[in-house]
Amino acid sequence: MVSMELVYLAIPLASLLGAIIAGFFGKQIGRSGAHCVTIIGVAVSFVLSLLVLKNVAVDGAPIYNYSVYTWMISDGIRFEIGFLIDGLTALMIAVVSGVSLMVHIYTIGYMHDDDGYQRFFSYISLFTFSMLMLVMSNNFLQLFFGWEAVGLVSYLLIGFWFKKETAIYANMKAFLVNRVGDFGFLLGIAVLLMFTGSLDYYEVFDRADSMVTATMQVIPGMDWSVITLACILLFIGAMGKSAQVPLHVWLPDSMEGPTPISALIHAATMVTAGIFMVARMSPLFELSETALSFVIVIGATTAFFMGLIGIVQNDIKRVVAYSTLSQLGYMTVALGASAYSAAIFHLMTHAFFKALLFLAAGSVIIAMHHEQDIRKMGGLKKYMPITYWVSLVGSLALIGFPGSSGYFSKDAILIATKNADVWGAGYAYLAVLLGVFVTAFYSFRMFFLVFHGEERMDEHTREHLHETAPVVTVPLILLAIPSAIIGWLTIETVLFTDFFDQAIIIFREHGAMAAVAEAFHGPASFVVHGLAPGPTWLAAAGVISAWYIYLRKPQLASAIRQRMEWIYQLLDNKYYFDRFNEIVFAGTARAVGQVLWRLGDALVIDGLIVNGSVRLVGWFAGVARHVQTGYLNHYAFAMISGLILLLGWAVLG
Amino acid sequence: MTAEFVQPDLMPALPEMVMLAMTCLVLVVDLFLPQEKRGFTLLLSVLTLALAIGAVALVAPASAVSSFGGSFVLDQLAVVLKIAVCAITIMVFVYSRDYLADHDIYKGEYYVLGLFATLGMMVMISAHSFLLVYLGLELLSLSLYAMIAFNRNSLRSSESAMKYFVLGAMASGLLLYGISIFYGITGTLDLTQLSASVKGQMAEHPVALGFALTFIVVGLCFKLGAVPFHMWMPDIYQGAPTSVALFIGTAPKIAGFAMAIRLLVDGLGDLQVDWSQMLTALAIASMALGNVIAIAQTNFKRMLAYSTISHVGFILLGILSTSANGYASAMFYTITYAITASVAFGVLLVLNRKGFEAEEISDLSGLNDGNPWYAALLAIAMFSMAGVPPTVGFYAKLSVLQAVIQVDMVWLAIVAVLFSVIGLFYYLRIIKVMYFDKPMAEQTTTIKEALDVKILLSANSLSLILLGVFPSILMAYCILAFS
Amino acid sequence: MIETIIFYVFAVTTVVSACAVVTVRNPVHAALFLVLTFFTSAVIWMTLEAEFLAISLVLVYVGAVMVLFIFVVMMLDINVARMREGFVRHLPLGLAVAVIMLGIMLSVVTSDVFFMDVGSEPVARAADYSNTKALGGVLYTDYVFAFEIAAVILLVAIIAAISLTLRKRGKTKYQSPAAQISVRKADRLRIVKMPSSEE
Repeated sequence: MVSMELVYLAIPLASLLGAIIAGFFGKQIGRSGAHCVTIIGVAVSFVLSLLVLKNVAVDGAPIYNYSVYTWMISDGIRFEIGFLIDGLTALMIAVVSGVSLMVHIYTIGYMHDDDGYQRFFSYISLFTFSMLMLVMSNNFLQLFFGWEAVGLVSYLLIGFWFKKETAIYANMKAFLVNRVGDFGFLLGIAVLLMFTGSLDYYEVFDRADSMVTATMQVIPGMDWSVITLACILLFIGAMGKSAQVPLHVWLPDSMEGPTPISALIHAATMVTAGIFMVARMSPLFELSETALSFVIVIGATTAFFMGLIGIVQNDIKRVVAYSTLSQLGYMTVALGASAYSAAIFHLMTHAFFKALLFLAAGSVIIAMHHEQDIRKMGGLKKYMPITYWVSLVGSLALIGFPGSSGYFSKDAILIATKNADVWGAGYAYLAVLLGVFVTAFYSFRMFFLVFHGEERMDEHTREHLHETAPVVTVPLILLAIPSAIIGWLTIETVLFTDFFDQAIIIFREHGAMAAVAEAFHGPASFVVHGLAPGPTWLAAAGVISAWYIYLRKPQLASAIRQRMEWIYQLLDNKYYFDRFNEIVFAGTARAVGQVLWRLGDALVIDGLIVNGSVRLVGWFAGVARHVQTGYLNHYAFAMISGLILLLGWAVLG
Repeated sequence: MTAEFVQPDLMPALPEMVMLAMTCLVLVVDLFLPQEKRGFTLLLSVLTLALAIGAVALVAPASAVSSFGGSFVLDQLAVVLKIAVCAITIMVFVYSRDYLADHDIYKGEYYVLGLFATLGMMVMISAHSFLLVYLGLELLSLSLYAMIAFNRNSLRSSESAMKYFVLGAMASGLLLYGISIFYGITGTLDLTQLSASVKGQMAEHPVALGFALTFIVVGLCFKLGAVPFHMWMPDIYQGAPTSVALFIGTAPKIAGFAMAIRLLVDGLGDLQVDWSQMLTALAIASMALGNVIAIAQTNFKRMLAYSTISHVGFILLGILSTSANGYASAMFYTITYAITASVAFGVLLVLNRKGFEAEEISDLSGLNDGNPWYAALLAIAMFSMAGVPPTVGFYAKLSVLQAVIQVDMVWLAIVAVLFSVIGLFYYLRIIKVMYFDKPMAEQTTTIKEALDVKILLSANSLSLILLGVFPSILMAYCILAFS
Repeated sequence: MIETIIFYVFAVTTVVSACAVVTVRNPVHAALFLVLTFFTSAVIWMTLEAEFLAISLVLVYVGAVMVLFIFVVMMLDINVARMREGFVRHLPLGLAVAVIMLGIMLSVVTSDVFFMDVGSEPVARAADYSNTKALGGVLYTDYVFAFEIAAVILLVAIIAAISLTLRKRGKTKYQSPAAQISVRKADRLRIVKMPSSEE
C-alpha cells in the first residue's frame, strides 16, 4: 500500500513539476524542452492514473481515504490535504490526464508559431495539476483550492492572447461570472462547516442526517431547510463552473482563448467539475428533494435552450461551445434525476468526443488560416480527409448514433429522466428529448457546412488548404477511438456494477437508475433497443433536416430565417442574456459604483480614512524620526527613562 | 581532597567544544593564508559550523540533560535553536564574501569573530545559570562590537560601534545589577534553584523581586531591541557594514529569544504575572513605533531595523501569553524571522558592488528590469515580513495571534493586527519600487554573482514559501521544545 | 569586635574612595582612588576568609590592570574641560533622573526586604582550610565551562583589539632575514669588463 500512496501523490505532482519547470525555466530549456517536460509529466500522471483505475475497477481495491498532510488545526477543524480514491476519482483522473495528454501533444502543432509557447505549456500543466487535486480531494478545503486554481488557470488562458481586446473582455467576464458561482459555493461549504464542524467529506456525510430536520433563518421569519440551502448553494457553485443557465454566459466567450484550451478546459474537464462535485456530494443531494428539483429544472433548461442557440451560430468554435453547454445540461438533468452514475458516464464519453470535436475544429482553423466562420468554409472533405472522418465520428457520438459512445450515455440519461419522480422531471424529459433533435440538427448543420457543399473560401485560402501535421492528427485519431467505442466497452462496468457503490449514494425511492438497469441487457441489446421508435429517430430526423436545409436546398435556410425573423433574433442574441446582464447587473453595479466612489471612496475613505490616516501616520513618523537624533546620550536617556517607567510600574504599581 | 573532583559530563557540550577548537584552527590557519586564498578561511568556517550542526545532532538527547552542576542544559529547545543559529550563520558567511571583497575588508577576522559570536550564542542558548547567560551574552556582544567597527576606513561604522559598545555596556550593567539583586535575595545563580527559591520568597519580597526583575527585563529587551531600548538598532544597522548588519539582524535574535526563555520562563516563571505585564507594554510600544517610523525611512537598512523592532514586538507577544503554545509560536516566529531577514539583507548584499553601496530604498528601483530573479526573491521576503499568505510570515503571525487569543487577550491581538496593517505599507512600497519605478542607471546592468550565493539565496527565499505551506516541518519541533 | 571595627573602617574608605573616583577632576587621581578602592575591598574580602580572591584582586587589578590604566591615562592628553562642556546643561535632567531613581530604590530598600536572614551565617573554617584548593575544586568541575568561556572572551578581546588597531604602514622599513640569507653573489655584484685605458 505504501507504494500506492506514492503513486497517488505522484499523479498530481508529476504535472506540477512539469508546469514549474516550463514556467520558471522556460527561457533556459527552450521550446522543445518545455513541451518535453510537460508532456512527460502529464504522461506519467496518465499512466499512473490508468494503474489506479485498473486497481479500482479490475482488482477492486478498497477505498483509500487518507490525509497526506495537515496544514493546521484551528478550533478542532482540520485543514488538510488528502486523497480519496474510489471509483469516481479513478475514472476522473484517468479522463482528465488522458484528455490533457492529447491536448498537450496537439498543442505542439497548434501553438507552433506563438511567442508564449512555454508559458502556454506551463499553464496547461498547471491546470492538469489543479484539476487532479480537485478530483482527488477528500475534503472541502482542497476541493475549493482546486476549484479556484482551475478557475485561475482558465482565466489566464482565456486571456492568453492578452493583446486581443475581446480576449481580455472575455476573461474578465468569465472571472466575474465565476465569482458569483464561487460565492455560492463558499457559502455552501460554510453552511456545511457550521452544521457539521468538519471539512472532511466522510465526516460531513456521516453527520448530514442531522441537517435534514434542521432549519435556519437566513431572512428573518423564514425557516429554510439547512440541507436544501447547503445543496442549492453548492449547486450555484456548480452552475458557475459548469455553465448552467443563467451563469452560462461566460462559456461561449471563453472561446477567445486558444483552441486546445477550449478543448481541455472549456469542454472536457474544468467545466465538468461542477458535475463531478454534485456527484461527489450525492449523499447530501439525495437528502433534499427540493435541491434535486432545482438541479433538474436548471439542467433541462440549459440542455434545450442552449442547444437552440447552437443552430444560429456561425463561428465554428461557438457552435461547439453551445453544444457543450447543452451537453452539460444533459449531465445536470441526470444529476437531478438521481442518476449520478449516468451523469458521470456521460461526462466521460463527452470528454472524449467533445475534446475531439474541438481539436478537429482547431485543425480546420489551422488549415483555414485562423478563419472561424463556417459560412466561409465548405467542401473541406477532400482537402482534409483525416479531420473529416474524425469529425464524423465525433458528431455521431454527439448526436447519439446507436453504438457510439454518446449513444449509451445519452440514452441512459433519457431513460433515467423518464423514470425520475422529482418535481420537474416531466419538463426535463420533454426538454432532453427535444434536445436530441436539436443536437443532431446543429451538429450536422455545422458538419455539412464545413466539409460538404460549395467551397466558399477565397482563392488564397483554397490554394493553401491541406491536411494538418501529424502532431495534430494523431491526437485526433487517438481521441476518435474512445469516442467511438468506449461507451460499448464500459457501460456495464460504470453503470451497472458496484463501481460507484461507495462513491455515489442513491436512495431507494429515487429509482431512475434502477429503471435504467432494468432496461439494460448487455450493450448489444441496448443498441437494438435504441432502434425502436424514440430518441434515435429524433436524431435521425435532425440529421436529415440539416442535410435537406443546408445541403440540398441551401436557399431554404435563408427563407426560413426570414419567415421566423423574431425567433432568429431571439436566438442570435442568446435570449438577450448578455444584454440583460449588461444593462441590469453591470449597469446597476456601475451606477452604484459611481455613487460609492464619489461619496464613499473619494470622500470618506480616500479623503478621511486613507489619506487622513496616512497623513496622520506620516506626520507621527516624521516627528518620531527626530527622536532618533544619533546622539549617544539621548539614547542612553531613552533607555533610562524606559527603565524608570518599568521600575515605577513594578515597584510602586 | 582529590577524591572530591567529579568530572562533569562533557558530552552535552560537544558542539561548543567543536566550535571552539575549530575556531582556533581557523584563526591560526588564516594567519598563514595569502589574501587570494581567503576563500579557504570561508570554507573552513562553513565546515566548522557544519560540524557544529553535526555535533548538535549527534548529542541531541531524548529528554533534557544538564551538566556542569546544572549550569548547562541541553534540551529540545537548545538543539533546535543551535542548529538554526549555525545554519543561519553559514548563510551569512556565504552571502558576505563578495561584499567583503568589494569593500577591501575581506579578512579572516570577520569569520573568526563571527564564529566566536556564534559560540557565544550557543552558550546563551544552553545556559541555565545567570553566570553562563551573562558570559555568553558578553562573548556575543564583544564579537559584534569588533565586527561593526571592522571597516576601519569608515567613520560611520566606527561611530556606530562606539554607540553599540557604550549602550551595550550600560545594558549589561543593568542586567548584572538585576542578577546581583536576585543573588542577594535567593543566594544562587543557578536558574533551577533560583526558580525554587523565588517560589518560596514571592509572598515575602514582592517588591524587591519586582525591582530585580525589571533590570533583567531591561537587559533582555535591549538585546532583543524592544522599544524604548531599541535606539541602537537603526544606527547600527545603517552604520555597520551590510555584511555585519546581516549577521546582527538574524542569528542573535534567536539567541535573544533563548535568553528570554531561559531567564523569564525557566528561571523566573513564577513572576510571570509581572513580566508579562511589562512585556505587554513593551510589545505594543515596539509594534507601534517600529511600524510607524519604518514608513518614514528612506534607507533600506534603517527600514529593516525598524521592521525588526516591530517583529520583536510580535515575538514578545508570543512570550507574554505565558503558555506553551505561545512560547512555541514565538520560537517559530523568531526562527522564521531570522530566515526572512537573511533573504532581505542577502539580496541587498548581492546588489552591492565595488564603489557602489546599495542601501537606499531608491537603489532598489526598477530592480525587476535588470534582475527579475533577485527582485522576486526580495519580494517573497517582503511578503513574508508583511505576513501575506502563503509565505511563512503569515503563518508565524497567525500562530502568535492565536496564542494571544487563547489567553483571552483579544484586544492585544487586534492591536497587533492593526499595526501589521500599517506595516504592510512599507513592505509593499519596496515591491512597488522594485517593480514599477524607473530603474537607476546602476541597476540596468545585470548583477554578476557567484553561483553558490545565488543557489543558497534562492533556496533561502523559497524556503519561506515552503515553510508557509508546510509550517509543521518546523512547528512540530517548536511545539516539542515546550511540551 | 575587632572584625567589626576593621569592616567599618575599610567599608567607609571603600565608599568614600569610590565616590572620589567619579568626582575628582584629575583622571590620574581618579585612577589612584580606584586603586585604593580595590585595596580596601581586598581587605574586606580577606575578613570574609576569601584569601585567594583578595590576593588576586590586588595582584591582577592593582598590579596589572590599574598600572596599565594609569599609563594610558598619562599618555593620552585628556582635555577635561572639554569633556565637561555639556555637564551643566544636562545637569537638571540628570539630577531629576537620579532623584527619581533614588526614590524608587529607597522605596525598595525600606520595604522589609534586606534583612540579613536570607542566607545562613557563614561557618568559620579551620586554619589549615585551603580556600584556593576549594576554588580549584569547583573551578575545574562545575565551573569549567564558564571558566573556558571567560577565557574565550579574553581571547576575543585580544583579537578584536589587534584587528582594530594593527595597521601595516607602507613606509615602515624592516629587514627580511630570509631575503638576506638567500642572496647570491650575482644579485649584488656586477663584474664589468673594461678595456684597459692603457694605450
